[in-house]
Amino acid sequence: MTGKNNASEVNWDDYLKAYYEKPSSFKSWSGYDVKEIYTPEDSPDEKYEEKIADAGEYPFTRGIHANMFRGRLWTKREVVGIGSPADTHERLQYLVEQGGSGLNTIADVTYEMGLDADHPWAVNEVGLTGVNITSIKDMETLTKDIPLDKVSWSLITASTAASVTMAQYIAVAEDAGYQPAALRGSVQNDPIHFRYCGFRPASPLDLSIKLGSDVMEYCTRNLPKWYYTTVNMYDLREQGITAPQEVAFGFGIAMCYIDELIRRGLNIDEFAPRFTFYVSCHMDIFEEVAKIRAARRMWAKLMKEKYGAKDPRSMHFRFAVHTAGCSLIPQQPLNNIVRVAYEGLTAVLAGVQSLHCCSYDEPMCLPSEKAHLQALRTQQILAYETGVTNVADPLGGSYYVESLTDKMEEEVLKVMKRVEDVGGMEEAIRTEWLDHELESEAVERQKELDDGSKLVVGLNIFKEEEEKETPMGVQRVSPQSAKQQIEEVKELKRTRDMSKVRDAIKRIRDEAGEGKNTIPPMMEASRAFATTGEMLGTIRQVFGYSYDPMEIIESPFD
Amino acid sequence: MAGERKKRILIAKPGLDGHDRGAKVVARALRNAGMEVIYAGLHQTPLQIVNTAVDEDVEAIGLSILSGAHKTIFPKVMSLLKQKGISDILVFGGGTIPKKDWGILKSIGVGEIFPPGSDTREIAAYLYKVL
Repeated sequence: MTGKNNASEVNWDDYLKAYYEKPSSFKSWSGYDVKEIYTPEDSPDEKYEEKIADAGEYPFTRGIHANMFRGRLWTKREVVGIGSPADTHERLQYLVEQGGSGLNTIADVTYEMGLDADHPWAVNEVGLTGVNITSIKDMETLTKDIPLDKVSWSLITASTAASVTMAQYIAVAEDAGYQPAALRGSVQNDPIHFRYCGFRPASPLDLSIKLGSDVMEYCTRNLPKWYYTTVNMYDLREQGITAPQEVAFGFGIAMCYIDELIRRGLNIDEFAPRFTFYVSCHMDIFEEVAKIRAARRMWAKLMKEKYGAKDPRSMHFRFAVHTAGCSLIPQQPLNNIVRVAYEGLTAVLAGVQSLHCCSYDEPMCLPSEKAHLQALRTQQILAYETGVTNVADPLGGSYYVESLTDKMEEEVLKVMKRVEDVGGMEEAIRTEWLDHELESEAVERQKELDDGSKLVVGLNIFKEEEEKETPMGVQRVSPQSAKQQIEEVKELKRTRDMSKVRDAIKRIRDEAGEGKNTIPPMMEASRAFATTGEMLGTIRQVFGYSYDPMEIIESPFD
Repeated sequence: MAGERKKRILIAKPGLDGHDRGAKVVARALRNAGMEVIYAGLHQTPLQIVNTAVDEDVEAIGLSILSGAHKTIFPKVMSLLKQKGISDILVFGGGTIPKKDWGILKSIGVGEIFPPGSDTREIAAYLYKVL
């Protein structure tokens, strides 16, 4: 017990204050004033068919499927990436055994940077924040005994290394006897946004568009069940921006890829049905639902009106949610379970297709097995106990939510206009306009926490003097796993047939130079045991960049 | 105090970890609190960090690490400082560093650790107090 021994020691004036307390703010998380009550005047329903419509009907404000979760529950997909490919494989299997319905693996910083496990920069970091795949052997270990034609696998590699990930995955699948057309899942493949996550050396803008679009083009032609990009507006939101900025910047980046695919001669309806987004769900339940409803409506209109899409599936805003990592704090960490539950609920109320719930220990370490399981259980409680799966868009028609959806749309349009005014998204990126936007918003968010205008329990209200240790232990990555992978990579490089590697690398260089799609030669090179760093480095050189993003090692093929 | 030199602080992100929101926000906050901040940014090696600290004549180095590599990176920076015979530069840190590890870091001479959710004014107050 930590309470006082004697009730007379309690500050009863504070009690009285708490009793009469009113909320300190009537603003939404993104800073918009909201009214005391919303009435029919705030959301006139005469434009229902045109603006809102039933779920499954254009403009899909209420959801992309008519029956939503009655057709199929969302995919319960917890992100996994820890230690070696074998360690990651083990955790994946564990979560599937516990009822996880989607596989989801994340690249570590070395793989995202396009570095082999034996790179000098990689030595201390292999496997710390995800999994490193240096060669096709690692991909074999990761996918061992998993029926790739049955599972839906989400490969989280975002940088230009996503092209390597796809080549490695398809090559392994083919070699195991699966048809590429049977593969189901997604690759994050959004190198443009990843420059804002500290991976600028691995994501030069032109190469991001080139390799990102190579994956999209290849998958469009060969993997009809594969979602070839997940435009990651979540990561942008994590930088501290508002809900409307998240959507506007995400759409801006998405259009960079779409414009390139159209330049390559693809028809919008050929590829757009496999376009997906990664969205944040932060703590303001109604604002986040409204944001997603607005995004669905706006995406449908954008695809139809700007790009002339005819297939309704091209107009579907399909999205996965990652509950907001930055809303979690290490102070009183069990509270994070509650935060994640609300954010997960929000995602489901908004009609999510696939959900990752953060583990409560996210601000301290990688998810421990117990925390991972707890996050999965949070999803299962939502799915099986709460009744939220019964009805499509249960908040639709609420005067408040409809009005807030309109407000979100209006604000997203304002931000999109500002992007247009600086010359469009590519220009906003090139001139670092977007960098400045992200940074100044991050400073604003910190100010709100410091001055208490945004309250977070355990952080700036209801703090405890002495914080205890993480209640269920801290996840560590075994240094042995990393050492072993590094040794295996060194061994592979010593023993492989170098003349085959050289030929394969030459083909990559030639075809990249001719402007051809780089996925087929990378698949062949993967089979010859060319590594991630070697394949990506060779393409980098073709585009005038250093072989090594960290500018330490030279190409062994020059 | 008139004529007194502003406190000079180096903020850096060692290693490949790209989560730089915290480092940037802290750099800005310390600047606003009247300090001279050298923001070395991403992808710094321990040696680069120590060399910059010496070149820029800073009183403190703030390292932000969210990758879990804190148990290798802090000791490297501390031992490089020692090798160079430097004992008057404070090293402090922030990021996703489990509380369990704070003791280990402090035992090798690292100063305060500021986890996510720290009030940036407290970081500034701490630096003014100890420097």
